[in-house]
Amino acid sequence: MTAGRKIGRPILEIDGVSLAFGGVVALQGVSFDVREHEIRAIIGPNGAGKSSMLNVINGVYHPQQGTVAFKGRRRRNVDPHEAAQQGIARTFQNIALFRGMTVLDNIMTGRNLKMKSNFLQQAVYWGAAKREELEHRAKVEAVIDFLEIQHIRKTPVGRLPYGLQKRVELARALAAEPELLLLDEPMAGMNLEEKQDMSRFVLDVNDQMGTSIVLIEHDMSVVMDLSDRVVVLDYGRKIADGTPDEVRNNRGVIDAYLGVAH
Amino acid sequence: MTEQPDTFPRLLLHQARLRPARPAFREKDLGIWKTWSWAQVADEVRILACGLAAQGFERGDRLAVIGDNRPRLYWAMMAAQALGGVPVPLYQDAVAAEMAFVLQDADIGFAVVEDQEQVDKLLEVLPQCPRLKRICFDDPRGLRHYGQAELTAFEDLQAAGRGFAQHNPDFFADELGKGRPSDVAVILYTSGTTGQPKGVSQTHAAMIQTARVLVAFDGFVEADEILCYLPMAWVGDFLYSYAQMHIAGFCLNCPESPDTVMTDLREIGPTYYFGPPRVYESILTQVMIRIEDAGWLKRRLFHAFMAVAKRVGIGILEGKPGIPLRDRLLYRLGEILVYGPLKNVLGMSRIRVAYTGGEAIGPDLFDFYRSIGINLKQLYGMTETCVTVCMHASGDVKLETVGPPMPGVEVRIADTGEVLVRSPGLMKEYHKRPDATREAIDAQGFFHTGDAGYFDSGGHLKIIDRAKDVGKLADGTLFAPKYLENKLKFFPYVKEAVCFGQGRDKVCAFINIDTAAIGNWAERRNLPYTGYADLASQPAVLDLIRECVEKANGDLAQDSTLANSQIRRFLVLHKELEADDGELTRTRKVRRRHIADKYAVLIDALYSDKTSCYVETQMRFEDGRSGTVSADLQIVEAKTFGAAAARKAA
Amino acid sequence: MQFFFEVLIGGLLAGVMYSLVALGFVLIYKASGVFNFAQGAMVFFAALTTVGFISMGAPFWLAVALALLAMAALAFFTERLVLRPLVNQPQITLFMATIGLAFFIEGIAQLTWGAQVHALDLGIADEPIEWLMGNTGMNISKFDLVASGIAAALVAVLAVFFNKTRTGRALRAVADDHQAALAVGISLHRIWVIVWMVAGFVALVTGLLWGARNGVQFALTFLALKALPVLILGGFESIAGAIVGGLIVGASEKLAEVYIGPHVGGGIESWFPYALALAFLLIRPEGLFGERRIDRV
Repeated sequence: MTAGRKIGRPILEIDGVSLAFGGVVALQGVSFDVREHEIRAIIGPNGAGKSSMLNVINGVYHPQQGTVAFKGRRRRNVDPHEAAQQGIARTFQNIALFRGMTVLDNIMTGRNLKMKSNFLQQAVYWGAAKREELEHRAKVEAVIDFLEIQHIRKTPVGRLPYGLQKRVELARALAAEPELLLLDEPMAGMNLEEKQDMSRFVLDVNDQMGTSIVLIEHDMSVVMDLSDRVVVLDYGRKIADGTPDEVRNNRGVIDAYLGVAH
Repeated sequence: MTEQPDTFPRLLLHQARLRPARPAFREKDLGIWKTWSWAQVADEVRILACGLAAQGFERGDRLAVIGDNRPRLYWAMMAAQALGGVPVPLYQDAVAAEMAFVLQDADIGFAVVEDQEQVDKLLEVLPQCPRLKRICFDDPRGLRHYGQAELTAFEDLQAAGRGFAQHNPDFFADELGKGRPSDVAVILYTSGTTGQPKGVSQTHAAMIQTARVLVAFDGFVEADEILCYLPMAWVGDFLYSYAQMHIAGFCLNCPESPDTVMTDLREIGPTYYFGPPRVYESILTQVMIRIEDAGWLKRRLFHAFMAVAKRVGIGILEGKPGIPLRDRLLYRLGEILVYGPLKNVLGMSRIRVAYTGGEAIGPDLFDFYRSIGINLKQLYGMTETCVTVCMHASGDVKLETVGPPMPGVEVRIADTGEVLVRSPGLMKEYHKRPDATREAIDAQGFFHTGDAGYFDSGGHLKIIDRAKDVGKLADGTLFAPKYLENKLKFFPYVKEAVCFGQGRDKVCAFINIDTAAIGNWAERRNLPYTGYADLASQPAVLDLIRECVEKANGDLAQDSTLANSQIRRFLVLHKELEADDGELTRTRKVRRRHIADKYAVLIDALYSDKTSCYVETQMRFEDGRSGTVSADLQIVEAKTFGAAAARKAA
Repeated sequence: MQFFFEVLIGGLLAGVMYSLVALGFVLIYKASGVFNFAQGAMVFFAALTTVGFISMGAPFWLAVALALLAMAALAFFTERLVLRPLVNQPQITLFMATIGLAFFIEGIAQLTWGAQVHALDLGIADEPIEWLMGNTGMNISKFDLVASGIAAALVAVLAVFFNKTRTGRALRAVADDHQAALAVGISLHRIWVIVWMVAGFVALVTGLLWGARNGVQFALTFLALKALPVLILGGFESIAGAIVGGLIVGASEKLAEVYIGPHVGGGIESWFPYALALAFLLIRPEGLFGERRIDRV
């Protein structure tokens, strides 16, 4: 399936990251990397620190210890919008869409960073801003076509069923043409058919756009099918890292999932 | 015009010369409507034909076309015809095994398909279809890593075509010159209710002749617009979209995706529309749902003006005299406030002609569209006759009929009541099925439709049933149980009906009431009830049903052929007919024979002069238990009408 | 009947002015969830700055441009010094902060330009439109009409800005969901500056129109209170609500004064809108156009 895809150098390096909220430790000395064009899954029991890890990567949380390097550059305390500017897009576990806006407008916000004209130009120099808007609209239409959501283009997001909202959220992330895409439980709450569709889209994104993907997912069959390598977290620590097969047979992972007392 | 072009490829070039810059195809892609002019299309088809030729496509070869309505797929059909080949459009939602049958039956060597989904299906059946050697796909998405030698991308085929055309500049024109009108233009597979599908071979001459008649009949011109959203494998799409565009020179609009048809309709605003009744029904349902969700004011406005439309709309559409000025003004106001915006939302503002066919359309549905000013008409036909046997002319529309025979079409009614058709649009043959062809077309060249029907006094054909289901009453007049049952079922209170009369002196019926509708009715009248059986035995309900039956009788009485089929006596069954009890098929069709056996006592009672009858029936409950239900059923006499009285009653 | 229409139209035109004030509140509330108590002070500050520059001899348009610049600077420093340090604090804290801000702005304005009442002449006479007077006998002020026209143009410009431009879209996005807005790379700080600048622009237009009518004076700050019933009627989050709410308040207070006033001894114009808003609060707490929030669990 993924024959034409070349996994390259590391694009994201997490080194010894620790994060605590007050006295509660969320992550403890976690290190792993994500390579170019790779699909990397983070799994673990509830409360293992998966979402915290994602939030560290896109700058919502700043780790107390350790470093995050993106595209070979170590970063200090970036904000989410700076992370987005560097090429990291994400979706959220509980869908964070602009509910009052149409699907099209939602996806257009994904292009926000790529737009060059500034506030004043938009207010005054209407022609160029408008031309730019059209160029971005074309890019957005390509994403709409890619994710097969033409029929809901003009529908306010709040009116869509859950499965489609997830797809729109992915579309908005893709519109930013990210190099690294973070998906926080993209298939949560979906039925089997919707999961299959979403899996196909994730694979297609990775294959055709070459986007590196970090994925949190609970459905193990999905994780095993999609990912190239898997990181397993438990109580904020990394307990395993490897291909799906390696992870599946790892003693520590089996214990963590079967709930052996620590 | 001296000589009229007589094959589709010649018509294409003719149109490209006549109106080179006029739009021929539009497709919405990436949110934008793209347009191809006739000249561009002619060029695309030439390149494509050369590409196919470069791949070894020869005169007489058959090309499978599979996918949603896309310009490129239509061009592929044109290209195959230009080379003297035969396009065979397949239903895009068919599973691989069904496709395998057609691919083998039609000896298909080449295919042009839409996307990965279709490619996957063809690759799956490739081992069973050794003749299939080339598959060209339009949308490359997901196919990047497919290495099969059979696969070609559409762009590569075009490139090959350009190269071929450069080396053989006269090739295309030469091939066009070789075509004859008697060549097969298309093979269309009919699903057929039993057995394997049959391929219907239609010639250029038949399709073109039929399309010319149709274009003249409703006056189609180059400015007309049609949205092709029905399957390309269906004869209707081939005739109404493909064939007619070649004659009239109008533009085919392809929807962005099957899910966007409603939006696309609104954007295109077609002038000409075709849909089976279920499409009209689902549109109406959507309207009703949206109205119920709308604000209080909108809802009130809608219902008030729909009442006006119901009263006078059809009369106004048909230009009938004697409509009071007040109603005319109200209707005009309604057009501004309700009908106009409604038609706009449905994409029907510009519709001049809309057709429906294929099955009977409910009166409420039919009247709804006509009352808001949409010129909806019915037609009758089948793949074997290029559709177009009968058709309503604008201004001569009757709900019950499918209109008079079209110019050039001969329709005869056999002694058995079966409708026979002879026309220029008659198929050449069933592909590779001489036996079936002999069975369907008799020595005089009449095609046996298998439908039973008759002509009414206005010369309109009325289709009543499948011929094999039609019988005779004791006096030898026609007895069409399904027709009668459908007539009863059009009343919302009647859920099922079973009519008896074969070989008897009169018609009697069993009726199942619709619990939801009658329950609602009962609540409005404060009638207490516990369930179906209770409702079914209430005298008020029996009266209500009697009124329905008598209304149906009034209609039947106006029809000299069916006047004798008026329902004299009926009873309302004590239980609902169920598939679990063997009384209905799984598709909810009445199993007449089984019911007649099971309730023989009741039938005897209907045909005696008893006024009630005791019955006990085994039945299976929803939880799987079985038990018996018993009841003392009232037999109700319904009024019948003589022809003169009927006219008064109606 | 003709008198009724005269009162109604007069009320509606006055209502447009209320709409303008409410608009400033709605803009900031939508984008940052802050009820900006300082909006009235900003109106005062903007108007006073304009007349101040005029009194220093600057031509009208230059004075307006300079005032606009001052509003932009105010927005910038407000974001830097007030909003940014208080990010993620409870709404009530931010509200208190804007009260402080209001006093600060009023102080600065009076310190810089003095406390006396200034006249502001926009060159539009506050006199009846003769044509209307002659033909229908209705007394409609020319100034009110022009002011409404300016207000309508402002609303149209804002509508285009919100719906057609990238920044407008970003503003709507921020109003809708902060977290998601951050994730697509929208900088909240930048958006806050912009929205306060836009609110400052609206305050300037409001201040000029009100100032020209009633004189540029400290009483302008009380406009904030006038906006309250408008916001309750129209909803805090809806621009359309602010406009309709303003029209309702304007028309109803004038009609009430003329038709109900005499029966209860007059003077009800000043409190009637509040009573109306209070009654409305009982029926539809989210306002005419407000979003009814259904929180899903």
